[in-house]
Formats: sequence, structure tokens, C-alpha cells
Amino acid sequence: MSEAVDTSGEHELDLSWMDQKGPWDTKAEESRYGLTLADIQIGEYGETPDVSDNLTGRPRGSAPRPGSYRIGNYAVRTKNEIWLDNASFLYEEALQRQWSSATDVPWHTIEPLPDDIEQAECQLATFFTEVEFVAGDVPARWVSETTPDFFEARQVLLAQVMDESRHMDVFRKRAMANGGGLMQATGATSGFVGSIDLSRDFTEMSSRLHLSGEGAVLTMFRMGELMAQNEAEKAMYRLCAQDEARHVAFGVMHMRYMSAAAPERREEIHCYLDEAEGQIVSGVGNPAARGGPVGESLAILLGGGKDKFDEGMNMLTAIRRRQFREYKKRIVSAGFGERFENGRSRLMEMFEEAA
Amino acid sequence: MAKFPSVRWFDAVREVFNGDESVQGGGGGYCNCIAGMKVGKDVFVLTFEGVECTEAVKADDAALDDVDFYLDMAPADWREMISNIHSNNGADRHHTLNTLDLEREDGLATSHHGDQYREDLFFRYNQTFQYFFNASARIRTDF
Repeated sequence: MSEAVDTSGEHELDLSWMDQKGPWDTKAEESRYGLTLADIQIGEYGETPDVSDNLTGRPRGSAPRPGSYRIGNYAVRTKNEIWLDNASFLYEEALQRQWSSATDVPWHTIEPLPDDIEQAECQLATFFTEVEFVAGDVPARWVSETTPDFFEARQVLLAQVMDESRHMDVFRKRAMANGGGLMQATGATSGFVGSIDLSRDFTEMSSRLHLSGEGAVLTMFRMGELMAQNEAEKAMYRLCAQDEARHVAFGVMHMRYMSAAAPERREEIHCYLDEAEGQIVSGVGNPAARGGPVGESLAILLGGGKDKFDEGMNMLTAIRRRQFREYKKRIVSAGFGERFENGRSRLMEMFEEAA
Repeated sequence: MAKFPSVRWFDAVREVFNGDESVQGGGGGYCNCIAGMKVGKDVFVLTFEGVECTEAVKADDAALDDVDFYLDMAPADWREMISNIHSNNGADRHHTLNTLDLEREDGLATSHHGDQYREDLFFRYNQTFQYFFNASARIRTDF
């Protein structure tokens, strides 16, 4: 029998980490909707700084680690650049209202369609797949640019990326589900839609993406539901519209917060809106505008065929009027309604010229 | 048998809707808003909290000032929609809430306050509202 090894002195535990902690004795309690982000906004854990100096990826509320490396070169460290008051709420809603493009769309209801209808639907599906690439890429980039201290806003953007990913796949699936396929790329990722990714500032990006871009696409999804040929398309467009409305809500609430917290930036925001209204909202940048493969596809689907194109175009024009009214009211709700009173916005004038 | 429109009818639909877990997923789920229903001159206010519709009350026009949005149709149009839902075990392609909204010049969903953020809740929770009215296929309705 060998002698027992003397290990004394080799396994002294350094438990000093046990003294390094954030506020203790925290006991978050679930509300009627479960344990939500709103329920854990307790004491210091719920306090967001106006300006963050957190460059180390430290979770908000945790004890700092002296000498730790800077792992993030976060461009967004000022609260009013990204904040919105209902971020926690929107995040929980996004998680709870997820759906599956594989099993929540009744694909079995799709039946063969006339060639012109199938081609128009496939063209639209191709366009949406392109657009959703941009809508997913852009928020993803800004997530990594944002300090962890504003994690609630980051969480909403991450949920948006998941939503856009699902939109990309559901339209790709539709294009391939009924004897058609993808059509020619429309180039939607260039021009104004593509330029969303050139934004150098989060609010600039949000005004283009969430308010102008997604507001326009929301209307198109709703149109998609209206002109659906089967229950599968009906569900697909309706569920996408829900997600899109949540993204629009992010933009409206961020603009409200920004407007109140940094009024000196209001003129700058108006300039972004000038640009958006001249292009994606009322100009040729609007995919629902007259002409082009997407506009023509919409008219064919709304009218019910190539031979009813003019009827479809009249319906499209009527729906675009609604789209403009909703956009205008969203801008008012976001706190920038004076542009419609003081003559700065030429929205309706531009629309009449384009219609 | 519940007569439409009445609190009794909405309560019967609420019972079916609240008891069906399948409508809490698949794009349904948390829905927090106050929605008005205007059936001609009759007004009802529905409260949605979490995954349930928690209350339906009869109200008057003034109550519509406080709802996030309200659905406004003539009694004959409501009857057509509900009958269609009953016949098809859910709205067919021409009778979904979104389709009815876009086919009307002034829309189906509107508000007194004009705040689009609140009106957008109709789009944000549209699948839930569709599930709610589709649940009426499982009750007997009298007009």
C-alpha cells in the first residue's frame, strides 16, 4: 500500500469572487405575463445611464472588473440615440408572438394558379426576399455597435433580426411552393432601400428603416393578405404584417424619445424625413409605385390578372393613399407633425405627381 | 344561442377564445389593448390582456374616445362577416379583418384620437383578433 499523497496547501480556494457582486438580495417576482424584462427592472438593475462608459461588455448591474480589456468599440453610448420607453414590452411581445414558416402557414392550401398570377406572386416573393435581407442586416450591425448598458433596445433589434430572417425564408418558400420559382432580382437592395445601410447614425437608420421603409412594407404585406389566392398566402402575409407593425412601433417610440430628450436634433430628423418622403414614401423608391416589376405585379394581383391591370392599378392607387395617410399619422405620433402644417412636407403633392 | 350584438355574445366568444391554447401560439399570443366594436349605433369595448380577452362591456360613443382603435361596420356587414366565419369555420379569403379593412375607403379600423401608434395595434395583433372572431364559429349566433 502506498502512502497517501499530501495535498495540503495545493487546493486553497480563492473565493474572493464571492465578494464581487452587483446589488444583492434581489428577488424579482413574476407578473401575470411571467417573469418579464419589465419585472427585473429592480433598483440599480433598472437604471440606464444617459451616457455609457461601458466598453468591456460588462452586463449592466454586474460588478466591474478592474483592468479588463475593452472588447467593444461601441458607437452608440448615448441613451437618446437608441432608447425607447417600451423596449422591454416590445421584446417580450416579439418573443411571445413568434411563428414558424414551416408549420404555421397552411402550405397544403396552395393550388395551381394561372401563369400571370403565379409569376406576379413569385416576383413579389423575390422582391420581399431581397428587401428582408436589408431589414435583417442593418439592425444586426447596430446591435454590435450598442453598449450592453442599453440591452433592452438591443434585445428588440435582435428579435427583429429573427423576424426578418423568417420573412426571408417564408417568401423564398412561397416562390418555390407552386411550380414557379424566384424571378429576376429587382435591385431593391440598391437605391434608397440599400442606402439605409449607409446611415452613420442610429436615429438616421431608424427613421429610414423603421418609419419609412417598414411602414411602406407593412402596407404591402397588408395588400398581400388582401390579394392572397389561398389560405397559405393569407396567413403568410398577415403574420409578416404583424411583425412589421412591431418594427414600426420601435421607430415611432424611439423618435418620440429622441425628440423629447434631444430637441436640438429635430431639424436633422426632419432632413431624414424630407429624403424619405421624396423617395421611398412617394417617389420611385416606393416599390408600390406605378411601373416596375413590383408595382406591375401588385396591380396584376389586385386586379386578378394581366387583363385587369388597369383595375388593379386603380386599387393600388387607392391603397397607396391609405399608406400615405398612415405614414403621416405615424410621423405626427412620433412628434414631427409640424412638417405637415408648415408646408415643409410635400408628401401629398409628390404623390399626386407620381400617381 | 347568443344574439349578436350583445355582451352575452361577446362573452360566449371570449370563453371559447380564452379556453383555446392553440390560438396562443402560431403568431397569436400576448395582446394588450382596448378595442372598440361599433355595430351600427351599438358600441362594445373589449379588453385584451396577455393571452386572454378579459372583458366585454356595452358602452356608448363617448367610450370610443378611450379605446386604442375600434372596428366600425354596419350591422349587415357584421352579420355577413360572422355568418361567413360560421359557414367556413373561420373567415374565408374575402372576410378576414385585414381584407375588410383594405376594401373600405375609410377602413374598418379607426379611432377618435387619430394616434397611428395606437391604431397600428390592429395590425400588430391582427392574428389574435382574427382568432377571436374565428372562435365565434364555435358558438350559435342569432341575429
